[in-house]
Amino acid sequence: MKVIAFREVSKYYGGRVAVGDFSLEIEEGERLVILGPSGCGKTTLLRLVAGFIPPDSGSIMIGGEIVAADGRIIKPPEERGVGMVFQDLALWPHLTVKENLAFGLKAKGVPKREREERIREIVDLVQMGEYVQAKPAELSGGQQQRVALARALVLQPKVLLMDEPLSSLDLELSVRLRGEVLKLQKDLGFTLLYVTHDREEAFDIGTRVVVMTGNGRIERIGSIEEVRAYLVARTTASKLPGQNLDEQSA
Amino acid sequence: MFVTAWAPDKHLMTRRFVLTSVAILLVVIGLLPILAMLARSVVVDGHLSLASCRGLFASGRAWVLMKHSLALSALTTLLTTAIGLPLGVLLAKTDVPFRRLFAMLFTIPLLVPPYITAVSWFDLLGRNGLLARYLSPSLAGTLSTWLFGLPGCVLVLFSTFLPIVMLLTMISLKTVNPRLEQAGRLVAGWFAVLKGITIPLIFPGVLLAAMLVFLLTLGEFGVPAFLRYDVFPVESFTQFSAFYNFGAATAAALPLAVITFLILAAERFFLRKKTDQLQPAPDGEWSLIELGSLRGALFALVSLLCLTIVIVPVLVLLLQSAALSTYVEALNRAGDSLLRSVVYAFIGATLLTLVGFLSGYAIHIRALSFWRSIDALTIFLFALPSTVTGIGLISLWNRPWTGFIYATPAIIILGYLAKYTALTSRITISMLTRIPPSMEEAAQIVGAGWVRRMGMIVAPLAKHGLIAGWLVGYIFCLRDMGITMMVYPAGRETLPVRIFTLMANGPPQLIAALCVVMIAATLLPLGILWATFETAMRGSDR
Repeated sequence: MKVIAFREVSKYYGGRVAVGDFSLEIEEGERLVILGPSGCGKTTLLRLVAGFIPPDSGSIMIGGEIVAADGRIIKPPEERGVGMVFQDLALWPHLTVKENLAFGLKAKGVPKREREERIREIVDLVQMGEYVQAKPAELSGGQQQRVALARALVLQPKVLLMDEPLSSLDLELSVRLRGEVLKLQKDLGFTLLYVTHDREEAFDIGTRVVVMTGNGRIERIGSIEEVRAYLVARTTASKLPGQNLDEQSA
Repeated sequence: MFVTAWAPDKHLMTRRFVLTSVAILLVVIGLLPILAMLARSVVVDGHLSLASCRGLFASGRAWVLMKHSLALSALTTLLTTAIGLPLGVLLAKTDVPFRRLFAMLFTIPLLVPPYITAVSWFDLLGRNGLLARYLSPSLAGTLSTWLFGLPGCVLVLFSTFLPIVMLLTMISLKTVNPRLEQAGRLVAGWFAVLKGITIPLIFPGVLLAAMLVFLLTLGEFGVPAFLRYDVFPVESFTQFSAFYNFGAATAAALPLAVITFLILAAERFFLRKKTDQLQPAPDGEWSLIELGSLRGALFALVSLLCLTIVIVPVLVLLLQSAALSTYVEALNRAGDSLLRSVVYAFIGATLLTLVGFLSGYAIHIRALSFWRSIDALTIFLFALPSTVTGIGLISLWNRPWTGFIYATPAIIILGYLAKYTALTSRITISMLTRIPPSMEEAAQIVGAGWVRRMGMIVAPLAKHGLIAGWLVGYIFCLRDMGITMMVYPAGRETLPVRIFTLMANGPPQLIAALCVVMIAATLLPLGILWATFETAMRGSDR
């Protein structure tokens, strides 16, 4: 079953194409990674799915329902059932870990008892049980990542959006957290839409990878093996004399 | 050969010399007068004495003044915060129509002397006011009684200081990382996000605004004096000007200085770290709240508020002074005062820009070990009631050998510098935080000295802040009455002082016309400079 569908979606910023004529379908339980250089429209795609911005043309469907089309937001973010981990995590600095997790549950009217239970379950899952009373500034980078993940998952979203969440971490921690994300996805079964500019991260996380061009269009889409082979071929070709290839950082 | 390794750093010496000189200047024009006033208040005929303070407090009058001062400040602060916060949110974050225009209109009362607003309300609600013609004598009398007292003072000062809370709320909102709100929007509606995330995040900024309103109300002299509500600044001024009882005047000024000092100390302790961290949020993700079906109703509500506290007072003054002959007479009688006001404000703003730029720079880069003290001193002097500053200036400079200052407009300019350097200094700091330190370092590494770096790199990069600082300085010098009223040399009064003195027995039409002239003198240069600035910006964008 298709969880997310982009239909010829375009988004412009002051005449510049951020996303151009973008069509894609994402299956339930899939881990789709969008790979591309800075400014290629990766984050814009996530923001379109989240509902922070409308597409200038085309439509977006979530769970078989049109949520935005042709410059209009039909369903606001809080009604789309998606969770998101932001690049800078966006943990609310004035709230404790527990309050960060409880905010969404309260807004959805979850009763206090169930709220406490769900918070306990999720903090145990991300191994942050000891830190529920801590404020974000008191946590390490890795701990903050776990809290951001827990906050995005505590409402049990069907889709989790992740916007380069590991880019600010050192390699060792980043690799370890990739494993934890995969485990959580396997346990909870959500659909993952993951954005990164790092090939290795993309191949570690995804079951399918979309390579973006610099102007917000799909350059290549396929399984890990297909995309890996394509990128190797592209890099090799670019080193041959007489070739005119558009070198990408991805 | 490393010849420079032990050579004294000439450029660093220059910087230290210039910035230390600015710090000394601030001490001389700001701190010394206050110390002189304190010394003079406790020395009677060469002996230490607390007779003046004892006299004031023993009579019980001090407690009445204290009660009045605190009631006026607290009520004005509560009202401005209760209305200014939602208004700021509405104008900064929602799609309410004409929000930029509203923000500009609501700012106008802050730019004109508050007693002008009081005059217009008097012209409207007074016993012989415009409204009295259509009301029964008893109702007109009730309204007039209501105006002359606490409610009237609160109304006028509310409309004057509302922009402080509104603008600081709007500025604080710009510092909230939009992603913090977006993370909330994934799970909750805008109302819950504003209540649970945005407003708690900007709360230190709102509290700072509330504190400023409290202190400015506490020190306000013109409005309570006109509306006959006894507070400490009025008492201080009356004792000084009517009875020339310097001891009683300083005794009435002391509680204000103490309260100001205590509130600022509390602010420094609880809020400073939080408000210092306010930085502009990253661009590109700022989104407006769509009000939907509430848009019309909220637009009507904002329009009504704007009409009541901004448009009506100006209209009343225009109606009251409708005849051209009134303006001719007004200019005949007070043209010289107007000219003086503009000249003093021009000189004051230019010096304020220079001193504020240098002191702001010293604070921003922590160039001197006592940078915190410079910051604290400028803020303290700004928050200190004008009557206190005025009495301080007189205490220090009214000596036979300092007549070249005391008997000339220089005393007014010194008052401006003491009172308003905090504004230009803060504007400079906010501008400098946007300039990467590498800009100056790049000039330093190629051998540019400090003066050259300041003149060729830092000042041009901070030019928007300098222009804004000059404008703010000009407006505040022009509208100043508290200090000028206390210190102006004979025959050198400014327009606000002239209007205030005429209010006792001048014809209402003439006073209304002078108020309109005053508003025009404030807003016209502002409008012209703003238009020039906008055109230049558009040109540079192209």
